[in-house]
Amino acid sequence: MSDHKPKKTTPTEPKKFGWIAEYADEHSLLTAARKVRDSGYTKTDAFTPFPVHGIDEALGIKPTVLPFIVLCAGFTGLATAAAMQYWTNAIDYPYIISGKPMGSWPAFIPVCFELTVLFSAFTTFLGMIALNRLPKFSNPVFTSARFDRVTDDRFFLYVDSSDKYFNKQSVQELLSGTGPESLEEVVEDSTPTAIPRIIWYVLGCLIMASWIPAAIVYKMRQGKSDQPRLHVFLDMDFQPKKKPQQTTTIFPDGRSMQPQVAGTIARGQLSEADPYYLGYDPGKVSLLGEKETFLVSTQQKDGDGQAAPAAAAALNLPWLTEVPVAVNDELMELGKRKFNTYCAACHGLGGDGDGLVARRADQLAQGFWLPPTSLHDPRVRAQAVGQIYYTISNGKGKMAGYGPSLDAKERWAIVVYARALQRSRNASEADVPEDKASKLKTP
Amino acid sequence: MNQTKVADNLILPESWRTKPALLVIAGAVLLLASFLLYQTTTNGTRYFFHTYLTSFIYVFSFGIGATFFVLIQHLCRAGWSATIRRQAELISTTIPFLAVLFIPILVLVISQSSILYEWNKAKEDLVGLTAEKTGFLNWWFFSLRSVFYFLVLIGMSSWYYRTSRKQDESGDIQLTLKLQKWAGPFVMAFALTVSFAVFDWVMSIDSDWYSTILGVYVFAASMFGFFGLMITLFMTLQSQGKLRENVTVEHFHDMAKFQFGFTMFWSYIAFSQMMLYWYGNIPEETVWFRDRLKDGWQYLSYSLIFVHFILPWLGLVSRHVRRHRTGLFFWAIWALCAHWLDMTFLVMPNAGPVNAMVVIAHILAGIGMVCIFLAFFLIRATGVPLIAIRDPRLHEAMSYTNPIL
Repeated sequence: MSDHKPKKTTPTEPKKFGWIAEYADEHSLLTAARKVRDSGYTKTDAFTPFPVHGIDEALGIKPTVLPFIVLCAGFTGLATAAAMQYWTNAIDYPYIISGKPMGSWPAFIPVCFELTVLFSAFTTFLGMIALNRLPKFSNPVFTSARFDRVTDDRFFLYVDSSDKYFNKQSVQELLSGTGPESLEEVVEDSTPTAIPRIIWYVLGCLIMASWIPAAIVYKMRQGKSDQPRLHVFLDMDFQPKKKPQQTTTIFPDGRSMQPQVAGTIARGQLSEADPYYLGYDPGKVSLLGEKETFLVSTQQKDGDGQAAPAAAAALNLPWLTEVPVAVNDELMELGKRKFNTYCAACHGLGGDGDGLVARRADQLAQGFWLPPTSLHDPRVRAQAVGQIYYTISNGKGKMAGYGPSLDAKERWAIVVYARALQRSRNASEADVPEDKASKLKTP
Repeated sequence: MNQTKVADNLILPESWRTKPALLVIAGAVLLLASFLLYQTTTNGTRYFFHTYLTSFIYVFSFGIGATFFVLIQHLCRAGWSATIRRQAELISTTIPFLAVLFIPILVLVISQSSILYEWNKAKEDLVGLTAEKTGFLNWWFFSLRSVFYFLVLIGMSSWYYRTSRKQDESGDIQLTLKLQKWAGPFVMAFALTVSFAVFDWVMSIDSDWYSTILGVYVFAASMFGFFGLMITLFMTLQSQGKLRENVTVEHFHDMAKFQFGFTMFWSYIAFSQMMLYWYGNIPEETVWFRDRLKDGWQYLSYSLIFVHFILPWLGLVSRHVRRHRTGLFFWAIWALCAHWLDMTFLVMPNAGPVNAMVVIAHILAGIGMVCIFLAFFLIRATGVPLIAIRDPRLHEAMSYTNPIL
């Protein structure tokens, strides 16, 4: 039986950490601290129930370097904010806000101020923690039973044994000469250092519990439910606002989205008078007949453009006959790319009206399918570039308008490419360049 | 006990007691010189009254700074300031005298002159927003309000002073408790009074313009100037051998901290005001800044950024400067000058373009007004202990130290 019992070991001498002296009031503490300071000790500390004026000086504590670090951090924050804002607003993503210049310093100052404060505050807090070597969960002085009164009415002065002048006898003599209430040697904490098992259990439970929300979310996303949706943020799911197609009682006509006010110009509308954007010259519209003028004016006034493309079939506008952009290889490349992306699906890569959509529709043979127009149709070939541009922009028959998807330059590029496709079917031998002419003759 | 014997180092130097009469005469002469100099320029009287208002607001701001300082010490039950509070009390009790200096402006308004306040024109001559404001901005209501502001400020400052003097005799702690109890409501009354006084006296010289933050602006500026004055006065007194044991480097350090803080606060308020107007870009708001950015005033306006913010900020940021006698004295004098430039910035651009004659006459009037103010202070301080000798927190103030940072 006795084999199983742990052997009794002779208790080793507990480690000593220094001396702690207890005082009844702050005056004797200050006097004692000065005496200890003047004896050359630096690894000292004082513990008091309230802040004692002058204790730093009495202990000989050197000024900390923290303010200087904080100053540097503050300037770093200032520079960071200034650089960040200038880069984002003036360089990386220039965007006019409130008509101010891109690099607008008055607007930057609040953020500069915030970051200066933020960097300084974090540095102060973290710097204080680091310079004090915190967190420190235990201190050897806690082993002293008398030390508990430090939060109540007693003042303590501690001299650490790691001080380079530390000598057990001389420190004891020095401190007892200052008239302490008590003086004792600080010994190592003998309580076990292992983390209690219960903490591990609790930690384990907490980690497991932390999976519960994730598991619930996972289950909800995987499974199906016939219950209505859970609205976590009610005011975000149901916002007190009107959407374009809804009715309202605010305006007499009941429309939540009001038509443009007469005589006003919205952003981007200035281009509506420019032949480059229209494909025809609006300045010459007055030369047209009454019907055409009416159609053009309806088109210009009515934003939704549903009726306009159908009417355009009969339209005879003062079309542009020249492409209003510089025609070069780059534009042709752009036109080819955009044509193949947007047009070829129906009109075919060669413009014959045999795109994949058209072929599939033929296969289905549903009867109501209107085949896409071939670009090589003499009627299309006779059209002015402006009219082709107009058709691309506004659509025609079943074809949707591509004005919203393609910008003006891209549409003109497609016009140029379409013209090139047409020309390719109607070239004579003289059109072939000299160096490639030989290839033609080979059978 | 009727009369407590006060130690010799706690009262004003003997030689200073004859100064007030001299200072008042010097001040009056300088103001007159300024007035006569202005008469050689066009619109001289208009310029002079703007200068007079600037100088008046400048010395008045010391009074409000002092009143606030006294109130806030009681509100926080501050111990550190027990030795310096009496001087703030003495400065705050110059307000009744300052009210006398306001009489010329009041006379100007009551005589329906519009050279200083444009809204005082005949009603049919007023245009735009100003015409809508005559219900509030008219000669009799303005005068009534001005009298009211003085009554409130004089009432609270002299009550605090008299009670503190009573404690000099009796040492009754109950008096301190009473002052503490009323500090809260008085601070609120103070804030509203000063804010509205600034709206009337300073803001309404540009009667189209309005800024709800201007009261806070002038308050922040006043505190900055007030601490400059406190430090300067204490150092001058100490150079005469007075108060040397009672006002230590720790107190100077703390006043310097306040001054440093109010540099920052002034800049914060001044920038807030400027940025909102700049961003909103509404004509009736930006007009005020337009006047300050033309006709030579732009140099003053832009220089304030450095003189009132960046330089004193860098100068006072270090603890070593704040605890250095000569260094701190320099920045205290700097604050007094910067504060005067700031008050000039608030008022003068409304008078018209700046030129050499305006600068000279303006400076003369400023010095003159400061002379008169100092005379008022000396009259108040004569025969009075310069610290609250029986304040219950006096020992705390004497043993107080700043932590070593």
